[in-house]
Order: sequence, then C-alpha cells, then structure tokens
Amino acid sequence: MSPWVSILAGTAAPTRHPAISTTISEEDIGAACVPEVYPRLQPIGEAGVLVEYEPQISLKVHRKVRQLASALEQQPLPGMIEVVPAYRSLMVSFHPEQISLAEIQAAIEERLEHLNEFSLPDSRLFRIPTVYGGRHGPDLEHIAQTTGQTCAEVIELFSSQRYPVYFLGFLCCLPYMGGVPLRLQLPRLTTPRTFLPAGSVGMANAQAVVLPIDQPSGFHFLGQTFVGLYDPHQFPPTPIRPGDFVECPAVSEEEALGWKGRFVGECLGHGASHS
Amino acid sequence: MALRILDPGSQTTVQDLGRVGLRRYGIPSSGAMDQFALQTANLLVGNPPGAAGLETLLQGLSLEALVPVVIAITGGDLGAELNGRPAPMWTSFRIQPHDRLTFKRRAAGCRAYLAFQGGIVVPELLGSRSTFARGRIGSSLRSKDTLPLGTPPLTGASFRRSLPPKLRPSRSQEHGVRVLLGPQTKSFTPAGHETFLNSTYRVSPNSDRQGYRTEGPAITFALGPDIISDPTPLGAVQVPGNGQPIILLRDGQVTGGYAKIATVIFADLDRFGQMAPGDTLFFRAVTREEALLAAAETQRLVKYLEIALRGG
Repeated sequence: MSPWVSILAGTAAPTRHPAISTTISEEDIGAACVPEVYPRLQPIGEAGVLVEYEPQISLKVHRKVRQLASALEQQPLPGMIEVVPAYRSLMVSFHPEQISLAEIQAAIEERLEHLNEFSLPDSRLFRIPTVYGGRHGPDLEHIAQTTGQTCAEVIELFSSQRYPVYFLGFLCCLPYMGGVPLRLQLPRLTTPRTFLPAGSVGMANAQAVVLPIDQPSGFHFLGQTFVGLYDPHQFPPTPIRPGDFVECPAVSEEEALGWKGRFVGECLGHGASHS
Repeated sequence: MALRILDPGSQTTVQDLGRVGLRRYGIPSSGAMDQFALQTANLLVGNPPGAAGLETLLQGLSLEALVPVVIAITGGDLGAELNGRPAPMWTSFRIQPHDRLTFKRRAAGCRAYLAFQGGIVVPELLGSRSTFARGRIGSSLRSKDTLPLGTPPLTGASFRRSLPPKLRPSRSQEHGVRVLLGPQTKSFTPAGHETFLNSTYRVSPNSDRQGYRTEGPAITFALGPDIISDPTPLGAVQVPGNGQPIILLRDGQVTGGYAKIATVIFADLDRFGQMAPGDTLFFRAVTREEALLAAAETQRLVKYLEIALRGG
C-alpha cells in the first residue's frame, strides 16, 4: 500500500482514475508496484529462484532463511538441485527441464505455508584453538591501537565471544559469522592483502572469519588456527552448518601447532545447546 | 600411466563437466570452460560426453603418449602438432608411444580440449574429476606429471571420426552474450541498464576460470554496488564500484557482495571458454523462453552427436 500513498500524495484521484496516466508514467507505477513484502521470490538466471527476506543482517531474519532452507532440504521439491542460504536470502536451484519456474515458485510458496511442520537442526558449538598475535596475528597491534585497548584486552574480548555462523560461502566452506562486539569493530582494509594463509582468524565490522583456504582478504587478522576447516576428501567438506556457533579460545603457540593436520570435526563441543 | 606432460604451457588442467549441488558448501561447479568442445572431443573417441579430458590454455602444452591411444582435439585452434606436423582438429586419430603432441601458436579461440579413449581417471572428488586448484582439488599440471587412462569402451577402435565443419563453432574476437536481467535490477539506474546492453566491453587480462573482468563504459548505480552478500549463480554478472561488469564462471565464488545486473544464459557460457583478453563482448537481454530454448538446442545437438558418432 505505502508506495501508492506516496505516488498519489497531492492528488485526490482514486487509484484507477484515467487522469493518473497523464502524470505518472507506467514505469513509475511499475517500480512502485514491486512489493516490498517478504519473503519475496524472483528468478535468478534460468535455473534459480532467489527468496529474499528483510534486508538486514540479523539472527531474527536469518532464522527465517534457515527455516525455509531446512524445510526444503528435509523434503526436497521435485526437480530441485540444492538450496544455497545466505544472510537474508537463499537461492533454490533446479533443473528447468524437470520443473518450470512457475511450478517451483508455487511449490516454494506452498512450503512457506507449512514451515512449522519442519524442525531446525540443533545448533552446535565448535571451539577452534587459536594462537593470537605476533607472527600469527599481523593486525593485532593495529586493532589494539585503533580501538584504544591493550593487545591482551583485545584477545580476551575476541576469544570470549561465541560467533554465530550464518552460512558457508565465497569459496571452500568460508563461514560467514557475525557477533563481533562493538568495541572491536573496524571497517575493512581499504587495500585488501593479497595472501593470507588458511586458518587465519580475523574480523571486519561485525563479521568474524576463519579462512578455510589461502586467500586474499580485506579483514583485520589477529590470530591463527592450525585446525583444518575444509577437506574436499570428505562429504560434506566441513561439518560446520549455518546456525552453529564458533569460539576461538586463545591457546599457546605450542598447543595451537599441536592441532596441525586435525579437522574441525574434532573441535565439536559437547553438550552445548543454543537457541 | 598413459600420458606424460612434458610442458604444461600456460595452464593445463583435468576437467569433466564439473560438480553439481555443492554451492551451499562454497564449492563452485568447475568443469570445462567450453563444455561443448569437451563433450564433442569425448564423443569423437567413443567416450561418454562427460568423461574427463584436458583443458589447455593459449599455448605451450607438450605431452607424450606412453601407450597407444585414440585421441581427439577440439575447442580453440592452438596450433596442435603431432611430432612436428599439423594435427587434425575435431577428428579422432590414434597416437603411439613416444608420439609428441605440442601446441605452438594460438590461431583462434583460447582453450583447446583433448579427449583420450577411456578418459583420464584421476580420482573423483566430490563427484567429479575436475580440477579446482584453489580448493585443493587437483592442481594445474606440471612437467613430468603422468596421467592414467580408463579402460577403453568395448565399441572397438573409434578413430577417424570427424565433426562436420558446419557443426564446428565459428571463432571470432567479438562475442555476443545473451543474459537474463536481474536480480538486483533496482541497484542500477535505467541509464545504467542501457549502458550495459548497448556498449561493447573489452575482456581484461585479469580474467580466468574464476571470472572474466571487462573494461568499458561504467554502469551507473541507483542504490550503489554493495548488497548484503547473497548467492551468486554460475554466469552471474556482478558490477563492483567501478561500474565494469565481472562475469563469474566455472571456478567462481558462490556468494558475493556486489549487485548483480544479469546472469549469462547457460547456452552462452561456453563462449567465455574461447574469449581471450582484448576480445570484445556485448550483452543482449533475452527472455527466459529464449534462454531455455537455446539450452535445449545445445543439449539436443550433443544427443544427436552421441547417436551419430556411435555409428562411427
């Protein structure tokens, strides 16, 4: 309703009055008609449907993403290939020769009506031993200086947080995590570094990250884990799922190195329960 | 082992048709950049169309056969020679131990495909033999690497089969690429859309299997280039702050924070396999129906070849 209100403000004419067409172009009305009602479905390429919720990064919105993703995974739609969740949206990919766009959109709409029949998988906690600072955390001092804290305070604050995993993406199971406390938040580097080793632990804005592979990054890095997050010889290639939590407890360099060659599945905390 | 790499040239990798359904783990499809070329090469040697072969870029590949094997070379014309004499393209032929294949100078296109009877049987990882080097799934081949081949199919010798010239893709340095617009339509101004669809873009040297960067008139934003990171399908056309489109390809990331103006239709993805830096491309918006029709046509051609070439 609201877009119409703004377009029609100042005119007394009812919405279907022919006189409107002389003052408002069809494009205006077309743009105003795009519903800002969520969830919103639209095609992406010829084999995908993008389902979008409210445009914000929040656990509340993300829970809706997970609910739909989980419902579709537990009982896949005919012709569906997979569901790729993100912060506030998910992509349902499908075989267009097996199911039409209209059919799969209808099936997704139908599933949205029955979300309460599907459960969300339990959230688990992964505790990833991390060595902070020195050659393992090239940005630690800079973070401390910029945020007006000592290095020890930064490590204490960062390593005591529980970071929620929103989704796995970019490349090779990169976990997109949130929950960096305000006192640590810094914008991304203006010039990204071209190389960071797998296992680098960093942050930018509210986002926390543990790199699964060697890659460039514009984040600030304060630690390093030697636990493997990604293994293409396993399926799935990481045990971490959207909805899980990650902690990066501070350990000595010796202890951190002792985890070399081990996989993040071994860091699964027991008895941790989260809503 | 059946083959030995003497020199990998610019870049040579093992590729089949790639992986499906792993984007939720951040694993892109990988697979041949020019899938029609790989499929045809396989069919010419009597393999299933999706068997693993070699994809080689630009020039410099040199390899030696260690066993007798039937092969076919398709895709871009990179000046293939067998023991120093021109080797046929789009045609299967037999090579013998100590025979050397070399690719000396690029004449047209930029990626050639080599299929070997029996297929290359490096281990399958996550459902495919395709190399995805960044994800530590295989790696670009190096000199002295050797490769195993599978058991040849029982259909007998499949050589001297040839793809009729009229079915071979024509090569040009200008590429028309069809796209479906969206999904971040509102991120761009109407003028930005017009720029995108009415301009010629030049392929940047900074292009690879992950993505092709282009240079040309800047697309203008209504809402800006940044979005809350969301899924990026194969063929997504992202527009970062400089307004120059980037097309995400076979090894491309599965999520991204730049607005996407369009997605390249499946039928036109192969064109990027033969697109070299300096080539020009222009985008044309089509309807979903046209995209599906084009994809079905490509699939039908491969099916037709599968039947026609089986008769040998």
